[in-house]
Amino acid sequence: MVGEAVAEPSPSNRGALPTGFGALDEALRTGGWPRGSLALLDAPRGAGATSLAIGSLAAAQEAGGIVAWIDAAGCLDAATAERLGIQLEWLLVVKPTSPLEAVELAGWLARSGLVDAMALDLGESPDQAGGNGLVAGLDRLGKLLVRGRSVALLLTGEWLRAAVARVAAVRLALEREAWLAVGRDLVGQRIRATVTRHRWALAGETASLDLWFGEGRRIDALLPPLAVPREAAPALAPVAVATAVAETEPEEQPDLRILSA
Amino acid sequence: MTRILALIWPTLRTAPASHAGHAAHRAPADAPAEAESSVDVPAMLDRLDDLSPRVEAVDRGVALVDVTGLGPSLGDERRIATRAVAMVREVATLPVRAGVGENRWLAVLAARLALTARPDPAVSVAFHAFPDGLEATRAVLASLPLVLLPADPDTRQRFALFGLTTMGELAALPRSAVGAQFGVSGERLQALARGEDPRPLTPRRRPERLTRRVTFEPPVEGVGGTALVLRRACAELCDALKLRHLAPGRAILTIDLEDAPALTVELTFPEPALEPDWIARLLIGRMEAASRTRHLRATSPEGEEEARVVAIGLAFDRLSDPAARQLPAFQAQAGRWEELRWSLERLATRFGEGRLWRASTERPNASLPERQAGLRSVGGDREDET
Repeated sequence: MVGEAVAEPSPSNRGALPTGFGALDEALRTGGWPRGSLALLDAPRGAGATSLAIGSLAAAQEAGGIVAWIDAAGCLDAATAERLGIQLEWLLVVKPTSPLEAVELAGWLARSGLVDAMALDLGESPDQAGGNGLVAGLDRLGKLLVRGRSVALLLTGEWLRAAVARVAAVRLALEREAWLAVGRDLVGQRIRATVTRHRWALAGETASLDLWFGEGRRIDALLPPLAVPREAAPALAPVAVATAVAETEPEEQPDLRILSA
Repeated sequence: MTRILALIWPTLRTAPASHAGHAAHRAPADAPAEAESSVDVPAMLDRLDDLSPRVEAVDRGVALVDVTGLGPSLGDERRIATRAVAMVREVATLPVRAGVGENRWLAVLAARLALTARPDPAVSVAFHAFPDGLEATRAVLASLPLVLLPADPDTRQRFALFGLTTMGELAALPRSAVGAQFGVSGERLQALARGEDPRPLTPRRRPERLTRRVTFEPPVEGVGGTALVLRRACAELCDALKLRHLAPGRAILTIDLEDAPALTVELTFPEPALEPDWIARLLIGRMEAASRTRHLRATSPEGEEEARVVAIGLAFDRLSDPAARQLPAFQAQAGRWEELRWSLERLATRFGEGRLWRASTERPNASLPERQAGLRSVGGDREDET
């Protein structure tokens, strides 16, 4: 029929997987991660991308789904994931030998249609990257996902972010707003999540997320009212400065003790 | 007239030592537990199927075979029993004892009494048979002690209080008197003491197995060279099953080698599968891995070369209707995980082992968090722990 648009997958007929954070679900305007999407969590190190991914996988499990963690970076600690809300029984851990293989395995899982959500952690180091092959693989993964109902959350370092940004259906920029502290103890961090790209909805919305160390979303009910936002970059203690200078990267080092992290 | 052969081996839990009054009637000491667990009972029963179509597995340590009418073709009962014991011993070298009687109770009792025949050097198998006819059998039973009856301790004590020590004494009492004193169970024991057992032998249904065997003439170099034939064998068996709306749950591949022991690869499917291509690929993957592990290489004057394959045998069993498969209930993920396992099998074949893992809480109270959870390999026919 003339004038009729080609049936583009829309949020209404795709459905969505909850992110585990109500504010983010609203910001995405699709009620969560749209099914069949490759979502890039664009965040510097320590800005909560891994916690957000684990929280999203836990929420998918609560909705009756099976999830996978494709661990090309080799950073997943199952015990920590469990503490953050993941049911290990329904978690498939994939350990590929290279980022390229990780993308290929993700494609297979997406094609099976039996995994609802997967986190694809490609790590920080570009040593084993297959260059253009990796981006092409991710492009292919994105197309496979669109045909299915799985959601892939992509965690990667700066080396790949720019290249991946154009193949991701959803891009979420994460930035730390503040530490959350109770007294002198750091108990979490407040993250500002900005939807910078969305294939099926209007981008630009932001959400403020509180990520609690150690306990994920299953936090003590008493903790949030007690927590006070602090400066995002607290001053370094003298001793910490001495050791931190010797390190390669002057990362933010709060002078506070971290509880149960 | 029915004749039943009972075979018992040491896993049988006989009467406790305190109940065994006569040393001659006491069962021999049980074999070590590891021997018990290693006995392949289904394979033993499969062998006995060749003797008679009516075989019943009563317990892990007792099998009954209906040998009625086998005399003209196989010889007397002792010869039949010797043959049956030899068949069982081909699967597991166990001290099997054999007994023959008119019903299942008499057959098992005869097998228990077979120990008395053991000292006879002319007899290779511990064997005992009750004579034909109930009257003759009762005459033999009459002198046997009551401890041989499957009675509970209280009943045994009451028998002793009444001065009953042999089966003949119990059998001679009026049935109504036994019922009044010992109840229904007493009546049942009296019937056994009289050599009566109404329970029929219920033959087991022989598990179906489809097999295909291909012989190579001349032998093929290396296990890899058999892949094409294996694919064709898988396709043929799957086609045969497809017509009957059945699918195998397990595939067993046996590779006969020229200068090395046979290689057996077993593959249990996560669900009944009728995909010959994937079954063949999984079997080939396992076969090559097994051959690497076994270092199947022969040394020839020209140097080291791969072992030559003489024949391959493929068997499909655990047949079931794939449409009638019951998935685990109550957990949303359980059924889908079973389906996923099949995909993981394929992934493991495509990418190799060690890629796919499943996490589980191993030691929740471990002091170090990294020791609380562990990973188990999935995607193969086993789940390895790390």
